[in-house]
Amino acid sequence: MRSSLAVRTATMCAILIVMHYTVRPLLGWRTSIDFLLIALVFGSVRMRPAAAAVFGLVLGLATDSLALGAFGAGALAATIVGFASSWLKAVFFADNVALNAIFLFAGKWLFDLVYVLMSRRMRGIEMLSQLLLWTPLTALVTAVAGVLVVTLLRPVYQGRTA
Amino acid sequence: MARAAQLGGRLDAVVFAACVLVALVFSGLPEPMRDPVASALRRTIVAPLIGMQRGAERWRAAWLESERQTLQRDSAGMFRAKSKSLEMENDRLRKLLGLGSRLDWGFVPAEALHTEGRTEDVITSMTLTAGSAAGVSQYSPVVAPEGIVGLVQTVDPRMSIAILYSHPDFRVSAMSADGAAFGIVYPHLDVGPGRLSERYLLELRNVPFRSTLAIGAQIFSSGVGGAWPRGVLIGTVVDSVAETERWSRTYLVRPAVNPAHVTSVMILTSERVLQGVGNIWTVSPPGDATRPLTVRRDSVRRDSLRRDSLRLDTIPPVRF
Repeated sequence: MRSSLAVRTATMCAILIVMHYTVRPLLGWRTSIDFLLIALVFGSVRMRPAAAAVFGLVLGLATDSLALGAFGAGALAATIVGFASSWLKAVFFADNVALNAIFLFAGKWLFDLVYVLMSRRMRGIEMLSQLLLWTPLTALVTAVAGVLVVTLLRPVYQGRTA
Repeated sequence: MARAAQLGGRLDAVVFAACVLVALVFSGLPEPMRDPVASALRRTIVAPLIGMQRGAERWRAAWLESERQTLQRDSAGMFRAKSKSLEMENDRLRKLLGLGSRLDWGFVPAEALHTEGRTEDVITSMTLTAGSAAGVSQYSPVVAPEGIVGLVQTVDPRMSIAILYSHPDFRVSAMSADGAAFGIVYPHLDVGPGRLSERYLLELRNVPFRSTLAIGAQIFSSGVGGAWPRGVLIGTVVDSVAETERWSRTYLVRPAVNPAHVTSVMILTSERVLQGVGNIWTVSPPGDATRPLTVRRDSVRRDSLRRDSLRLDTIPPVRF
């Protein structure tokens, strides 16, 4: 039972990671949907906090390998977001749409905050506009898209119910 | 049980701290040490994802390119259509200038506005951008370079409304080019269903039975009645209509003016109607307005050449 849940969660995360590299470039929006973060939050809330932290670290390192000069920043941000999602899910145990959306919004905002501060690429007005304008917008889009995708793919990760 | 949970919580914290430490170490590593790790990741687990991203970006580029090409095609098509209509309008305006120079006086130029969103199938009236302030009065004839257009019906200071020859109330006394046959032109109202285009034809009625008109014969206003001056082209005979009465003939006339192409018109003043229009339409159709200009330009050039040659003759020879 537990292994089938793990397989379904892994499948769902794989679908979301693939979507990040296929759907997102197709859309080409300025405030793009972060499917990797949706995968991270979705997987983390179904794992123990330790596993979620490792999942975040691996996912972050993989994405950081493409970001020249910011290696480790995404890994740290993803680790924090993964661990926090898993821990908070354990504290506020509920599975509803609004809670998922809040998790995704807060997760994306926290991710960007840690990433921007750690990568040290932006300063002053540019950093403020990123954190106070573009990050909330991207977080909102990601939250809405995440709720939609998770709702649409519910048959994949829930399987058959008796 | 509580002990196991406590142990699990402590393990979570340790693993989390270890992960944070690893991330910080990677972040703090100098570039030469970071690059091999990043490169290894790029070559292994990230490579298929990048392949997918490349494919998606190609799709997007192709989509944007096709959109751009469609836009280019559309704008080229629109430009072509616009240039065609501009050419037609230019041609009409040249003809109108030609008519203006022939009429010389007693007319008011106006733009003809077709009412947008009309519900009628056949155009029977149009708004003209000249009114009583410009000298337009009720029943003033409206003409185009090709011939008769209609008659002013209502006049306001700045605009007026004219009925076209297709209007049921339109009448004009007419004659053949040689003046042998006379009659009255009416709109052709008796049109069968599905033959709406024939609604723009005219009927030349009450032509004496002894006067026969050949197909293609030109019909002009006769000036009888005083509403229209004599000699404005109405159209050409296209057919004869079988009459029940045996003492007169009726002919179908194709109007010289196509109402769809009417954008600029001339409104004849009452003085001009009384004075007549001479043989502007009977001798030859109003030609290109550029022709007299070209002739004038050529004569000016000839004059200047002649003056130059005269001046050369008067220059005294230079002595060395």
